[in-house]
Amino acid sequence: MIPRPDKLGAPMGALLAVALALPLASYRANRIALAEARGLFEALPAVWAAALLACAVATIAVALFVRPPAIRLAVPALTLLLLLIAIGVAARMLMANGADYARVAPGTGFWLAGFALSILITDAIVRLKPGPFLRLGVFALAAAAIAAILVTGEWNALSILAEYRGHAATFWREGAHHLQLAFGSLAAAIAAGVPIGILIHRSERLKGPVLSTLSLIQTIPSIALFGMLIVPLSWVAANVPGASEIGIRGIGMAPAFVALFLYSLLPMVANTAAGLSGVSPSVTEAAAGMGLTSRQRLISVELPLALPVILTGVRIVLVQNIGLTTIAALIGGGGFGTFVFQGLGQTATDLILLGALPTVALAFAAAVVLDAVIDVLPGAKA
Amino acid sequence: MIRIEGLTKEYAGNAVVRDVSMEIEAATITVIVGTSGSGKSTFLRMINRLVEPTKGVVEIDGTDTREMKAYELRRRIGYAIQDHGLFPHWTVARNIATVPKLLGWDRKKIDARVHELLELLQLDPDEIAPRYPHQLSGGQAQRVGVARALAARPDMLLMDEPFGALDPVIRAKAQTDLKSIQDRLGSTILLVTHDMAEAIRLGDRIAVMSEGRVEQLAPPAEILTHPASDNVRNLVGDDDRPFRYLSLIPVSERTEEGTAEGTPIAADRSLYDALAEMIWSGREVLPVVGEDGSARGLVRRGALLDAARSVA
Amino acid sequence: MSRPFVFLLRLALVALVLAFLFVPEAFRPLLEPFAPVGAPAIYDRASLLDLTISHLLIVVAAIVPATLISVALAILVSRPIGAEFLPLSRAIVNIGQTFPPVAVLALAVPVVGFGTWPTLIALFLYGLLPIFENTLAGLTGLQPAVAEAAKGTGMTGRQRLFQVELPLALPVILEGVRISLVIALSTATIGSTVAAKGLGEVIIAGLNSNNLAFVLQGGLLTGALAVILYDGLGEISRMTAARS
Repeated sequence: MIPRPDKLGAPMGALLAVALALPLASYRANRIALAEARGLFEALPAVWAAALLACAVATIAVALFVRPPAIRLAVPALTLLLLLIAIGVAARMLMANGADYARVAPGTGFWLAGFALSILITDAIVRLKPGPFLRLGVFALAAAAIAAILVTGEWNALSILAEYRGHAATFWREGAHHLQLAFGSLAAAIAAGVPIGILIHRSERLKGPVLSTLSLIQTIPSIALFGMLIVPLSWVAANVPGASEIGIRGIGMAPAFVALFLYSLLPMVANTAAGLSGVSPSVTEAAAGMGLTSRQRLISVELPLALPVILTGVRIVLVQNIGLTTIAALIGGGGFGTFVFQGLGQTATDLILLGALPTVALAFAAAVVLDAVIDVLPGAKA
Repeated sequence: MIRIEGLTKEYAGNAVVRDVSMEIEAATITVIVGTSGSGKSTFLRMINRLVEPTKGVVEIDGTDTREMKAYELRRRIGYAIQDHGLFPHWTVARNIATVPKLLGWDRKKIDARVHELLELLQLDPDEIAPRYPHQLSGGQAQRVGVARALAARPDMLLMDEPFGALDPVIRAKAQTDLKSIQDRLGSTILLVTHDMAEAIRLGDRIAVMSEGRVEQLAPPAEILTHPASDNVRNLVGDDDRPFRYLSLIPVSERTEEGTAEGTPIAADRSLYDALAEMIWSGREVLPVVGEDGSARGLVRRGALLDAARSVA
Repeated sequence: MSRPFVFLLRLALVALVLAFLFVPEAFRPLLEPFAPVGAPAIYDRASLLDLTISHLLIVVAAIVPATLISVALAILVSRPIGAEFLPLSRAIVNIGQTFPPVAVLALAVPVVGFGTWPTLIALFLYGLLPIFENTLAGLTGLQPAVAEAAKGTGMTGRQRLFQVELPLALPVILEGVRISLVIALSTATIGSTVAAKGLGEVIIAGLNSNNLAFVLQGGLLTGALAVILYDGLGEISRMTAARS
């Protein structure tokens, strides 16, 4: 008797089957020429194509009929790894036959298969109910696998890496700018947001006005805020002695930094206040009754207990800032957005990806790591 | 000795506690009993100045508490509350060490004290000390709360419904334990409860509060035999008064010469327990034995009923 | 701040936006100082009113289907039949929200080309997540006693959903729609970089030609629209919350 197929396995298996029939790679005679599709067996040596096909079929079977989550994780993960290596092999093979300016990029089949496999892997991980350390371990393993593929040059023939080689120097510089902006504004937001959060926790009268002002700031579209800050900052640069010497200018990093800082305040302030008001009244009562001074209560009882909620605010801010920093490129603030908007301007997909993929990866990494840290904190268990 | 003189708390002109005066002898348990809203918790919280009195004086061993910094005063007074208020991010040992650490005791002295207190409260130090509060049962958490309150050998112990969150079986045991700890350490305890049975079981003296005033301050037997007002009578409960009274008197007080058959009752149990045993076993006379098991005489049902009738 | 004062403030903001859209010329003296010498102070390559309408249309065209689909999906995974998908869908929403809206927009361009479509797709996809998340929170956060009582009175699953669960979850769902709308309005502004017609083009034209007057009018206009929308929807969800 054939068991009832898995509810999620069925659509994802079907998606994977469709992906196999779609073009694995796309070939362009030069950087902006029209793409031509290359199917699985056109793009790969027969052995590779057969191996990939076999793995995919195995994955579909596992997705449909196998229950243990460990197997549901291992088989799609291996298939995904093979797919990632195979796309590099395909690129080398197609480039060997092509012109010097030719570009090979992953095709719809690759992206669709990658999507279906990622969903299956996510589902298996969720079913395993992993603790924080296991989650970090899985993440580190995946990051290491991708790093290994990059370092060994497996993907060198792919168009996005061709694009990277064209921008290698600026890539790392913009990357550094991106992190400086995202983390710098986060640090400033923590330094200002936590004290403001403590203040509004203690003063009910201030709470409403402060929080609604900060939510209004969050509401303003990012480009608008980034752009409008040029006006006051130009004025400061021109009129405040010393301001331009420390790097304050109308365009560039300064307005980007201020905009990111302003956006970050709401999550920091609101979460600090929420964390503090979540501390059980009997605990604060006991702390006062034991004779802790108000400063001792704050530092050794209230803040440690509010820490998980405050860190959740940090996670929100960091993920949000890594994404929003992309916009900074529009006002000359640098960051990975530079490539995204240049790519959009030149209709160059690879350049867009060169900016967008690292941004997504950074945001994802920040979320995974901070989620795990929050789970490890002792206060989170209480 | 604690002297309280004219203690009053008003919120926006409404008096919650009105002109309360009393003296609390060292090494005794005073229980404040009253319904919710009677002002009993506010009264208690004025002793360690969690609530600042509007008027009145609290003196501990002759020192006016207003002359100290509030947090220094609180470090000299143990405080245990209903939801135990243990700090969830600290281990049991760190929780108990709270006040000793604030007072700057050295590490060795603190460790020894934590160990001693856990043993006093019948908790295995090696097992319990490293645990976090969320890993404790309700009864254990309550005992740790008491240990924390006792940690720095405070001048007195304030307890606000300390057993309120416990189920009836554990609650009775916790009360007995508190009483024996108090006997052994000679602590001065001021305890707030809404439960008259608890007050009678624990208190050397009971203060009945209603609408912010102390209506009667007297030993339990007097509260039972001579309730000063209708409020006090209601709190005691008319139907239960004879039984409550019996629960206060040890069997030894009504023991007569002679011998009787059957399972004996210990001389330090209460007449209430003796009556229950008579009803269950269908006997009119019980033999009485001492702590060491030696025969002390007997107790008769008639003598119990006479004692109970004396309340009316 | 008193209620009538807040009401007047809102009214003034709406009036100001409308005035600017219909008679932008009246604001020229205010904006002139920010424009470079000889450059126009009021955006002249398209009517601001047209841009605003098209901006709002893109937002509505993305968020209406996003609302319908994500509410339907959330209902599905909160029923026994879709319960298997519940943990996975939570994980996907969690991961999906780490994708920056700009990245979603930029990644849509290679797939569907330039113009309104990538913007629409990005707004739609990004709009799904908060609404789904909030609907799910609303449906699963129902007080156990209420759910129990609904069952106890003999309501069928469908009756429980439509008469009890959805009405009680409504304020939370509306809050999700509000978050999605504000994000969509903001992302639609960036849509101008991929040639969608909207108010972002005023800001971007200003940035490209160093015309701060353009940047300011585009920025203030989108900012004011976002605030009006956010505030108005907040008022609506407060009204539903007060009722339930």
